Amino acid sequence: MKVLIGSVLGGLVVVLIALLAFGVLPATSLKLVEGFMPMQMLFELAVSVAIFAAMSYMLSAGGIQLPRFWQGILFWTYIILYLKFRVYPPIPFSVRAMYGTVSLIAVFMWMSSNEDDWKKFKQPIMNVLDANTGFHKGLRTAYLILLPILLWGFSYSSFLPNLDEPVELRTVHPAPPASTKVHGKTFVLQTSQNPYRVNPEGKYDQEYSNARIVEQAMGRLMKPDANPWDPKAEGYLKYVREGGEIFFQNCHFCHGDNLNGRGLHAFAFNPIPANFTDPGTIAQLQETFIFWRVSKGGIGLPNEGFPWASVMPPWEQHLTTDEIWKVVLFEYWHTGYYPRTWD
Amino acid sequence: MLSGSAGVSIFAQEGGGVPEGFKKGELAPLPSAEMIEAGKRVYFTKCVWCHGVDGAGDGPAADRLWPRPRNFNQGTFKIRRTASGELPLFDAKKAVEAENDLFATVTHGLPGSAMPSWEGILTEEQRLQVLSFVTTQLIKDRKFDDKATETQTVLQLDEIKPIPVSKESLEKGAQLIVDKKCIECHGVTGRGDGNAFNLKDDWGFPIQPANWHKCWNFRGSRQDPYNIKNIFRTFSTGVSGTPMPSFADNTTVEERWHIANFVNSLCERDPEGNPLPIDPLTDKPKVNFVIRSGPVLEGEISDDPENEMWQKRERRIVLFGGQITHKPRNFVNRIDDVWVKSLYNDKNIVFLFQWDDRSKSVAEGKLPWQPTEVNVENYGVKEQAPKTGEGDSIAAQQSKYPVYNDAFAFQFPVKWQELPAPIKPRYLWGDQKYPVDIVKWEANGTIKAFTGTGWDQDFQDRDDYTEKLKVLKQEWKDGRWTLMVSRPIKEDYDEDTYFEMGKYIPTVFFAWDGHNGDAGRKMAVSAFYYTVLEPPIPRETYIYPTLIAIGVVILEGWVLTRRANKKKGKV
Repeated sequence: MKVLIGSVLGGLVVVLIALLAFGVLPATSLKLVEGFMPMQMLFELAVSVAIFAAMSYMLSAGGIQLPRFWQGILFWTYIILYLKFRVYPPIPFSVRAMYGTVSLIAVFMWMSSNEDDWKKFKQPIMNVLDANTGFHKGLRTAYLILLPILLWGFSYSSFLPNLDEPVELRTVHPAPPASTKVHGKTFVLQTSQNPYRVNPEGKYDQEYSNARIVEQAMGRLMKPDANPWDPKAEGYLKYVREGGEIFFQNCHFCHGDNLNGRGLHAFAFNPIPANFTDPGTIAQLQETFIFWRVSKGGIGLPNEGFPWASVMPPWEQHLTTDEIWKVVLFEYWHTGYYPRTWD
Repeated sequence: MLSGSAGVSIFAQEGGGVPEGFKKGELAPLPSAEMIEAGKRVYFTKCVWCHGVDGAGDGPAADRLWPRPRNFNQGTFKIRRTASGELPLFDAKKAVEAENDLFATVTHGLPGSAMPSWEGILTEEQRLQVLSFVTTQLIKDRKFDDKATETQTVLQLDEIKPIPVSKESLEKGAQLIVDKKCIECHGVTGRGDGNAFNLKDDWGFPIQPANWHKCWNFRGSRQDPYNIKNIFRTFSTGVSGTPMPSFADNTTVEERWHIANFVNSLCERDPEGNPLPIDPLTDKPKVNFVIRSGPVLEGEISDDPENEMWQKRERRIVLFGGQITHKPRNFVNRIDDVWVKSLYNDKNIVFLFQWDDRSKSVAEGKLPWQPTEVNVENYGVKEQAPKTGEGDSIAAQQSKYPVYNDAFAFQFPVKWQELPAPIKPRYLWGDQKYPVDIVKWEANGTIKAFTGTGWDQDFQDRDDYTEKLKVLKQEWKDGRWTLMVSRPIKEDYDEDTYFEMGKYIPTVFFAWDGHNGDAGRKMAVSAFYYTVLEPPIPRETYIYPTLIAIGVVILEGWVLTRRANKKKGKV
């Protein structure tokens, strides 16, 4: 009975890992909760250790003694597969290699923690080396022949020239200048304001406009009483519509119909167009930063922003200053984000 | 054997047969007032910018888009499971693509057009809501519940058993596309070059036949470009609003599967015959930005693309978008990818380019501008104005452009060895500080070397280098250009790009489609790629692994000897 339970546990573990590995069971089935991920992973690994210990105990109590050597190897393999297929988003190979090395050392320390266990661990290796039986003699011969061949293959592969794409680190949002000149007029970024972010009295009013941006729910839909296409829309909402018209005549070819960077031409370019719905873009930036960025385009970036590669137009070549402000207004409205304030 | 429903023809009361593979269906009930009201909100947040206030396809974006956004008013929809001329399947209570054509279209978009996928943005409920609004408020000429004038005849796409792909099926399909006259529009090899410039849709706008080699651009691919079912469906139901008819009445189900199998087999695949990996973020083939030029150790590089030395080279896809940075911007880009291979020997590097172009375009007479001129707006090469109305929109202009030369160019930095990392010359013809080496071929047979110093700076001729350029092959055939260009590896260091083995040389490609009115900055442009001259495998690559293997053998001997001695000691 104990042997049966131990075997079933082992089978379950193998099946679970296989399902993860072949993608039948997505790693996201049991979600890793943001913020609690490290504790969750440690808990899962602790549960794994408990299961392995229980398996080992039950199997040995039933008379089946899995050699220490294979216990160590199998447990280490489990950890490697866990890191590769359970953890998401995927861990880079270098990090996985580091954890793999650490866990290998841990397994080795466990195996050598006392004299008796150490002898048990070494036993399979010594069996092969001494080749006292026909089986072990054959095994030794196979190892002696295959090992040099495999190592030759691995080192040959690593000596081949590597022609992968070089990695270049680009600063997506470089520091802006203190001021920018657009169509002959100088704007101080710290103090300038979008002249179209106004309340019905025509006064700059960020609270008023914040109350009328689209909702921050799935779909990001307009508030029921804030339709820029209402013929009676005036002030802020009217300018949002005008900005949207300009956006859809100019910007959506790259930034897309939903401002998510998946426009008609986006597939061809690198750096790829910004996804404004991502909270790491316009939501993190001040409105005048966006104004500078739009006016000067890719060609106006400092070198850490890779101005040579960006196809972002310098929009001052295509739009008036007023049109640029209105587009910026629309981008914030449509994504449901407020511009960040200067600290 | 086909499923039972496939072989049954049911005669409707009004007369006329149900085509093979189809079955009569019931019109769905209209959506509720709540759904329609909620859908209006979705429409005026997301859809109005292209489709317009009244759904006439005249939103702010429309005049710079080709194809234009759908005009909903007539109730004509392209991608359906319903018979030709019928309204598509739509049921506001069913978020199931197999039973809701419009839901499938909003979910997956229409690749190769500006209609995006709204999955992941709008919830299923929101997609149904907006469709409820569109189908009841913006479709003005038809009603989805009008049993007196509307019928529903549904292709049983999930019931009909596909015919597996086989040599016999492909042969039958190849014959059928001739018999059914598919090649008259889609071309002899299926690149859409058969009747590319005379077709119009029901709204009067120019339309071009699909290129069967780029299934990722199929409107009805439902983001599953290599799925044969999508072709079978389109061939069975036709594409309403376009010259593409339904073939349900004059083909058997079996014939349609043979055709679908054959058309699917034409889509680009990798050398092993597997579908190209598709980038889920772009729905286009994935890109590897390194173009490897292979070494030819002895002899000349062949000018025959079918030669073994070319055949065994792996090709790279280079993706192109319209030049949209500086006037005149190219909003409708017809050349969206080019395949590149390269070989080099001790004197020259040769590039082989192939791209699909439905027409061979050569300007009549002499061009009004000099080859070095890039600011050609003064000669009438203008970008599309933003708001023109339908008559002068970019869609209407598609068959009216003056025809200039098809052209292709590629750009490398001059003295790239001295560029401080990671700086490159600007992608569009370099800049004053970092000039670029541009080689440009035109379809009138000329090839020239220029120096570029900025997006608005006329090129400077490099006559000495031009004399050493060779066009080994230039051929337009059945909707495809094949261009082979040879250039010296090393000439004048200060003017011409030097090619060195194993180094990453930043490369940008440019393409012009003469029938698109492309000239100067109105063109297609790629991102930065890298050209690398692949070093021949050095002897060290063989020597060191061999030394390592020998070392392992010696180590094995030592371990065994030591072990044996240890045993002997015990005895």
